[in-house]
Amino acid sequence: MDGPRTTRLVEAVLRCYPARWRRRHGDEAAELAALLIRDGTPVSSIAWSYLAGAARERLTPRPGRRLSTAACALLLAACSLGIAAGLLPSTVPARAASTSPAPGRAHCRSGPVPGVIPALGHPRVIIWEAWHGRSC
Amino acid sequence: MAVNKRDGRAGQDVLRRVGEASVLILISLADGPKHGYALIQDIKELAGVELGPGTLYGALDRLERLGLIEPLPADDRRHPYRITAPGAAALRGHLDSLERVSAAGRLRLRLGGI
Repeated sequence: MDGPRTTRLVEAVLRCYPARWRRRHGDEAAELAALLIRDGTPVSSIAWSYLAGAARERLTPRPGRRLSTAACALLLAACSLGIAAGLLPSTVPARAASTSPAPGRAHCRSGPVPGVIPALGHPRVIIWEAWHGRSC
Repeated sequence: MAVNKRDGRAGQDVLRRVGEASVLILISLADGPKHGYALIQDIKELAGVELGPGTLYGALDRLERLGLIEPLPADDRRHPYRITAPGAAALRGHLDSLERVSAAGRLRLRLGGI
């Protein structure tokens, strides 16, 4: 691989790191890559190492990032419940909302579903009924 | 001190869980400050291990968060690091622990006649 292409590859991989990391180590990391390439280290192994490092950097929880991660998780959970509650009833036939078993589907049972948290209340019913309607 | 905050008590082998790369970096820094490229070269010579640059920066960040190393003012684009006093103590403790395990292993090999 020629010089400019190598440099572009390393720069592209370094862009996978968070901006905070790039501000701190970016210039040095690019220089280090150039020195290692000069020493004969394959570009692919350098790129792979930086790529794995970037993934670790993004996935490792930091003390200051805990709150935002928790907030994101809560937001995601809330969105999932909202989507489930809002969309599923409209995509399921009306008969699925009935609590009585469908004729000819004796294997379908009504009542509590194992593994479903009762505290979820109304969404639990919707989710269960939607699933019930589809599978039975 | 970051080491004590994290592990609750002093004297515990904090390096047991940080990985081989971090231990090798501490060993390399034990004789003086070095920047990334010098660390990679030294570790290759010292232990025959080629640290990838991504692994190197990950380990440096972790050691710094633990308070075991600290960055020195940048020299051009290179940031040298030096081992801190808690870092030296942690390394000493870890090497002592390895020595004990090594001695026990050798003794058992002798006793087993292998």
